[in-house]
Amino acid sequence: MEKIIEVKNVTYEYTDEEMKIAVLRNFSLDIEKGSFTVILGHNGSGKSTLAKLLNGLFKPTSGDVLVDGINTKDEETEIEVKRRVGMVFQNPDNQLIASVVEEDVAFGPENLGLSSEVIRKRVDDALKTVDMYEYRKSSPHHLSGGQKQRVAIAGIIAMEPECIVLDEPTAMLDPKGRAEIIKTVTQLNKEKGITVVLITHYMEEAENADRVIVMNDGEIIADSLPKKVFSQVEKLKNVGLDVPQTTELLYMLQKNGFNIDTDVISIKETAEKIKSCLEE
Amino acid sequence: MLKDITFGQYYEGNSPVHKTDPRAKIVLLIAMIVFVFLANNIFSVVFAALSVFTLMYISGVPLRMYAKNLKAILPIIIFTAFINVFYGDKNTGIVFEVWKLTVTWGGIYRAFFMATRIILLIFISSALTYTTTPNDLTDAIERLLSPLKYVGLKSAVHILAMMMTITLRFIPTLIEETEKIMNAQKARGADLENGNLKQRVKALIPILIPLLISAIRRSYELAEAMECRCYNGGEGRQRMKQLHFSFRDYIACGVVFAVGAVIILLNILL
Amino acid sequence: MALLQVKNLTHSYGGSSPFVHDAVSNISLDIEKGEIIGIIGHTGSGKSTLVQHLNGLLKPTEGQILLEDKDIWENPKEIRKVRSKVGLVFQYPEYQLFEETVYADIAFGPKNMGLSGNELDKRVRDICRIIGVKDEYLNKSPFDLSGGEKRRVAIAGVMAMYPQIIIFDEPTAGLDPAGRETVIKIINDYRRETGATVIVVSHSMEDMAMLADKLLVLNDGKLEMFDSTEKVFSNGDRLRKIGLNVPIVTRVFAQLRNLGVDVPEDVFTVEKAVEVLKKKAGEKNA
Repeated sequence: MEKIIEVKNVTYEYTDEEMKIAVLRNFSLDIEKGSFTVILGHNGSGKSTLAKLLNGLFKPTSGDVLVDGINTKDEETEIEVKRRVGMVFQNPDNQLIASVVEEDVAFGPENLGLSSEVIRKRVDDALKTVDMYEYRKSSPHHLSGGQKQRVAIAGIIAMEPECIVLDEPTAMLDPKGRAEIIKTVTQLNKEKGITVVLITHYMEEAENADRVIVMNDGEIIADSLPKKVFSQVEKLKNVGLDVPQTTELLYMLQKNGFNIDTDVISIKETAEKIKSCLEE
Repeated sequence: MLKDITFGQYYEGNSPVHKTDPRAKIVLLIAMIVFVFLANNIFSVVFAALSVFTLMYISGVPLRMYAKNLKAILPIIIFTAFINVFYGDKNTGIVFEVWKLTVTWGGIYRAFFMATRIILLIFISSALTYTTTPNDLTDAIERLLSPLKYVGLKSAVHILAMMMTITLRFIPTLIEETEKIMNAQKARGADLENGNLKQRVKALIPILIPLLISAIRRSYELAEAMECRCYNGGEGRQRMKQLHFSFRDYIACGVVFAVGAVIILLNILL
Repeated sequence: MALLQVKNLTHSYGGSSPFVHDAVSNISLDIEKGEIIGIIGHTGSGKSTLVQHLNGLLKPTEGQILLEDKDIWENPKEIRKVRSKVGLVFQYPEYQLFEETVYADIAFGPKNMGLSGNELDKRVRDICRIIGVKDEYLNKSPFDLSGGEKRRVAIAGVMAMYPQIIIFDEPTAGLDPAGRETVIKIINDYRRETGATVIVVSHSMEDMAMLADKLLVLNDGKLEMFDSTEKVFSNGDRLRKIGLNVPIVTRVFAQLRNLGVDVPEDVFTVEKAVEVLKKKAGEKNA
């Protein structure tokens, strides 16, 4: 598979009161084109720092991050990197710039210096993709959290990126908003072929991923298919991760002597597993 | 309460005034103000007033909306008129004298002119803000200032426009946030309604500090988000929305300058 | 006599307001001393409007709020006293911290009640002991604490007024599991120490099943249900109709019944589920 992002032996340090603190140390990771990767980790596991390294918002203290072969350290090509790897943040309020939805979505393409016809088309397409077209003339502060976050995603896809990194996009949303965002993101990956890196601490959001990476203290402690990662509940709980109630149930059954795996998340599969376990 | 503050004064509508290009509107309404101030005899002032009333009528915005804006500034008008009454030429005839103050016919005439002009000025600027969204206004100002880029002020024009855009975007957010913080502190027993001036100013600290911290955090996050969207200080930036001068705008220009011409003619001839 | 009575409460926001607010209409309910009540409803269903009436931040358009049988708006000048009796912890309460030290911030509430000197000091230190604010933090700036600790201090700031009723709006929002456990523990500790009534607004049905004795369900500003947690969660269809749901484990059990496994309907927590399934497996082996 072709790689869109390569993180090579990256160390990232920041200085706090003259103390050097390393968030990541000698960290390596490849993201494949077209893949859907979920990065799980609790607050302070280094996952947000990693996200900001992926599009050059942070520069590695040592080591390199390559996007489509372009080094993010290269100042000449900074815009190229940011266009290829779009980024969506946690707080939807703090990433919308204009007071009309369509003008906000246009902000990225406008910065790229495209012609006004091309911008118009991209904005309309992006808003349709996230199902916010009918709100194009609205003001962001009249929208719900989930809707605002979808506008933020539209603002990124209007730049036609190859990869989109979402840093805890659902953390401030209600269940309805969370579901909207996960649906939108899954669609972007499956239908538009955009590479997705979703950073979260909700394990159930990893259900549709191709690959799940678990981070703790700046290190990868698990990197595999969702099912394989979910089967290690103990490990996930130990690093302070949120485990959905289905997994929790299977795990508790396992601890109570049931011969059962914890590698599923959906309600349907969980019920089926319990049924077959009872029938054994 | 804060939530009663309506930001911007846009009054939704579909009138010819609404539809006029915002750049043309700004320039023409400034021209109107100049003409109103040029009017120096009773005929030209009456004509100017009639023109402004026609504009207000065409705008489709209810008269009470205009009256509301006028009410806010009425004390200033009365005060200005009152002062003017005493500053007339005594040769125009003395109406009455009290102590050292002399009210003259000339003074009254001046006061009348002054008041009329200010009132018309308010009506004209209200017509602009009622019929143009804050966004369109910002856009128009940016574009009207764009010639400044030829004298080396390109980034200044861009920065000003960007600041206006972000301000418009964040004012409702910050008002909402202020309300939330006020409620949170009230829930902790803060007294925001009573007390003397000093106590009231002190009572603002628990609101202003969290608000300031939050605004700083927001601006930091916004800066990162803008960077992620390839913002580069306006270098090579294109706009999606292009403004086009239409036939309607040329007609508007013609009408306004005709009004100006009539006012000047009335000044000279009568 | 109920501790807090809501009688025919209606609140409508003026149409001119530029902000979207959720109104409530004709709500009546009684809240007893020592209960833990959960409020559920989708965004915009009127939850925040309702709770802001309980401590007098909003004034009813119609109807009354009675605290210990007395209308809280009987004397509008005294409304601040109500706010110290009915504490309200807003969502993300750490954003309201403002003082130079943790101690001063926690003391803000009791000071507004008119306390000073030893009495004030005792209150602050007592609440810190009860909910575990470390002594060494007291002279630190609240802004130097971690996210979870900031929230603990912010909650202490409301608890230091020792309200008889304490309301939490999404108290665990934005926290990781460790942070969530801490907040739940704080709530339980306060309740054990003071016997206070606790009202929690939350989106998590799973948390509600563990925490609440009774559930208050709001839909479009109207009281949809107000009953024991078990009774409310037995009405899955009714909840789904208004965009809510039962806890995930309850849904797993419903699915099991669909698959022909004979399991009871009234399973709302993982503990109960494990117990039921263990019994079932035991029966089979026997």
